[in-house]
Amino acid sequence: MAINPETLRKLRRFRAIRRGYVSFLILAGLVGLCLIGELLVGSRALIVSYQGQWHFPTYGAFHPGTDFGLPYSYETNYRELKAKFRAAGEGDWLLLPPVPYNPFESHASGAVYKPEPPSLAARHFLGTDATSRDILARLFYGTRIALFFALAFMASVYLIGIAIGCAMGYFGGLFDLLFQRFIEIWSNVPFLYMVIIVFSVVPATFSVPVRIGVLLTVMVLFSWTAMTYYMRTETYKEKARDYTAAARLIGASISRIIFRHILPNAMSTLVTFMPFTVVSAIAAITSLDFLGFGLPPPTPSLGELLKQGTATLRTAPWIVTAAFGTLVVLLTLVTFIGEAVRESFDPKKFTVYQ
Amino acid sequence: MRLSTALAIAALALAVAACSEPPPAPESTAPSAGDQAAVDAYYASRPEFFGFKTPADLPPDLAWQDGSELPDIGSPDAQKGGTEYGAIQDFPRTLRTVGPDSNGSFRPWLLDDVAVALGHRHPDEFSIYPGIAAAWAVSRMDKTVYVRLDPQARWSDGAPITADDFLYAFYFFQSPHILAPWYNNWYGTQYTNITKYDDHTLSVTTAEAKPDMDVRVLALGPRPRHFYGALGDDFVERYQWAFAPTTGAYVVLEEDIRKGRSIALTRNKNWWAKDKKFWRNRYNADRIVLNVVRDTAKRFEAFKRGDLDRFGLNLAEYWYEKLPDEDDDVQAGYIHKAVFYNQRPRPTFGLWMNTSRPLLDDRNVRVGINHATNWQLVIDKFFRGDFRRMRTSSDGYGSFSHPTLTARPYDIDAALAAFAEAGFRERGPDGILVDAAGRRLSFTLSTGYEALKDILTILKEEAIRAGLELRIEVLDGTAGWKKVQEKKHDVFFSAFGVALELYPRFWETYHSVNAYDQAFLTDGSVNPARQPKTQTNNLEVLALAEMDRMIDAYRASDDADEMRRLAHAMTAMHHEHASFVPGYVQDFYRVGYWRWLRFPDGFDHRHSSGAGQLFVHWLDEEAKAETQAAKRSGRTWPPSIRVYDQFRAMAG
Repeated sequence: MAINPETLRKLRRFRAIRRGYVSFLILAGLVGLCLIGELLVGSRALIVSYQGQWHFPTYGAFHPGTDFGLPYSYETNYRELKAKFRAAGEGDWLLLPPVPYNPFESHASGAVYKPEPPSLAARHFLGTDATSRDILARLFYGTRIALFFALAFMASVYLIGIAIGCAMGYFGGLFDLLFQRFIEIWSNVPFLYMVIIVFSVVPATFSVPVRIGVLLTVMVLFSWTAMTYYMRTETYKEKARDYTAAARLIGASISRIIFRHILPNAMSTLVTFMPFTVVSAIAAITSLDFLGFGLPPPTPSLGELLKQGTATLRTAPWIVTAAFGTLVVLLTLVTFIGEAVRESFDPKKFTVYQ
Repeated sequence: MRLSTALAIAALALAVAACSEPPPAPESTAPSAGDQAAVDAYYASRPEFFGFKTPADLPPDLAWQDGSELPDIGSPDAQKGGTEYGAIQDFPRTLRTVGPDSNGSFRPWLLDDVAVALGHRHPDEFSIYPGIAAAWAVSRMDKTVYVRLDPQARWSDGAPITADDFLYAFYFFQSPHILAPWYNNWYGTQYTNITKYDDHTLSVTTAEAKPDMDVRVLALGPRPRHFYGALGDDFVERYQWAFAPTTGAYVVLEEDIRKGRSIALTRNKNWWAKDKKFWRNRYNADRIVLNVVRDTAKRFEAFKRGDLDRFGLNLAEYWYEKLPDEDDDVQAGYIHKAVFYNQRPRPTFGLWMNTSRPLLDDRNVRVGINHATNWQLVIDKFFRGDFRRMRTSSDGYGSFSHPTLTARPYDIDAALAAFAEAGFRERGPDGILVDAAGRRLSFTLSTGYEALKDILTILKEEAIRAGLELRIEVLDGTAGWKKVQEKKHDVFFSAFGVALELYPRFWETYHSVNAYDQAFLTDGSVNPARQPKTQTNNLEVLALAEMDRMIDAYRASDDADEMRRLAHAMTAMHHEHASFVPGYVQDFYRVGYWRWLRFPDGFDHRHSSGAGQLFVHWLDEEAKAETQAAKRSGRTWPPSIRVYDQFRAMAG
């Protein structure tokens, strides 16, 4: 695929902005880690060597205890299995992920469930929460949901925003006028309240992925408007340019003009906004969870951890520290990337902002 | 005739009140009373129920009693005055005490803990102490209780409380306009007659001469006829935010209703019972301000700042972690901690399964759920062993509770066997059981107790081992209760507050009339088109013909032994039906309170359900100023962490 030399220049400039570029690398690394999350954080063993056979339980169906000579039919507790293998000394072994806990299970070192401070020995690197669940595991999967949610949110919002914005700008006239009014009304609906209202009537019988889907749909439904105005003005501007007129004269189709000619030229506006959309999506899903209108318990989430953390500010400060720290790091990274992108896509290389 | 007399007395009373002190509740925008003649017409239409006689008609050999030999309830050390600050989780949806949305967490402030009935159970002795009744006589032969009213009894608006208000209470609770089927039923079937002899003498006849028929009658409270008059279709909306005159010490003033934010109770300084033996030295605070604080953690922080006077520390997390004995405020003696062991029937914390739902209508599934929920783990790990496992849904009634039944233990094999019986034999890729039709064994577990959601996550994790998926839904208190009242739940985690009674009730929770519109056809077979009945407490939608028969016999019985036998049989049948998973019981309550809140020497009474229920505490305004100054100056007092176990019972 040939890259437009102009774009290439912009990318090079992005690379030159160290802070943004490094942030981008870190975030990309994080997304990568999230994709293979089960290998890093989880209660399922990575490899089990049992009676000379190798098993890889991480993905796929669960292994009942009976698979490994245990007397129960529910999912194997691999931490116990490891201890058992070691005690038996029959050459069976297994490899656990670095964080050997899933985000749902309670694992207390003492007799009762209570928040426990970080402990290397117990492999609770960030401590445990009120019901003795591993905070790192909950944080990790909570972040994964938030991050992928934000990316999906951004993609959907942009798809709708660009399509409608370009159409408005390109066709103009009555279509533009009507849609403008519609958007004015629609965007005045307070978004967070609408999400709360809609989400509170979604039956809890839906599974968690479905609920996340519904939440995404509702949020997208009330968030696509912002993008349309920028795209509309950009399209208006580009439409009046000579090259567009030339394309029309040659007889290019409308879709070709919009997607091959106008859109690439309006790209800089678009790209600039992307990271900030991601930031707002993460913030929105976190605040919804914090308010208790987000994902149902016990789904791991940043907001839920924050809520628990603020509730136990005095007794278990490590909960809020972990959640807050993660949120700050995540949002800072995205913001740095955003700034770098804006700067590198800026047509005027030297701009003085006042 | 009666009406005009009543009105004249009311006017006189108002005038008298106006001379001494301003009347406490100016009902400026209160709705006007309905047509009084219609009420009399209703009485006339049911002459067998509403009787009018003269004092000469009273049986001559009645053995009158007045409970005066019982000990005082309030402490002689109590002081009046001060403003108490409390918090409510949710703003009340109405100020009515009957009808839709009225059975919420605010009602105790209006009715249960505050309003004075004819008589009440003594919180130490179990026998009855007088309220509005000055004396009463029980005639078991004719199933009637005769009552003499205290002539000094007044409504909070100054009108005298007379026998008319008790007759009117039956009109009121039998009215379809209040949209409260429980009351319609109770007042329509449990009593057969009320007779007025004069303004301050009446008798009430019960349907059966129950062992506790005295309290059945004496627990009755009046309704202000002069306030309501005839009821109409608009009852629910008309009185939604109207504070009705009360017999109790606290009134709600209109300016104190700040919707969604706060509500306050004001002490009626002219309260008629304030010097009565059993009511003096109680209801001491001049004002009780209740702010809406939805979040439990926030409520605790407000308490810790001194914005709330006391805070329930029943949860282990709060007692051991958030306000440990080593806490600075506790050690400095600013905040006191107390555990009080009480004796009474316990709230029924457990899982209520809606048996009208698919799969849950299969007993095997329900038995499996019983075995798949690990309450012992919750008790040991979450409650730190302070609580005990509930045995049946009717524990704590002495010999009326089943002697031997226990809840089904957490047992994965038993659960799997039961689920297999129901056709759930294979585990899906996530470990959840599926049946041959591909249905997953999955239910929604809802609750209105946000503070207890961790219990549900523990249950959920443990249930997965038995191949059962519980999807947790945490609603706010009011929304949760609405859901369950509309019977839209699968499995609901909740508890009924249980009154201090001699024997358990079954009709409310297990009779089929509270389960379906028409549970059975005339030939006794199950009605295929039946619809669950809403706004009743039969949360399990339990409809068993045999249970109905037993409940009817139980309600009709006047023989304690027979009732005991029936209670055991019904408890056993309910256990057998397995539609309820008994959770835990707590045989104490514990609170933290600022040192300016004072409690009597023994803290509270044997049968009290919580600190504050009997209003025996008082505020020491001086100590409040002193404490607030001490927090700045660093002055301290010896810590006060006390366990009051004088009523601790080993069995229950």
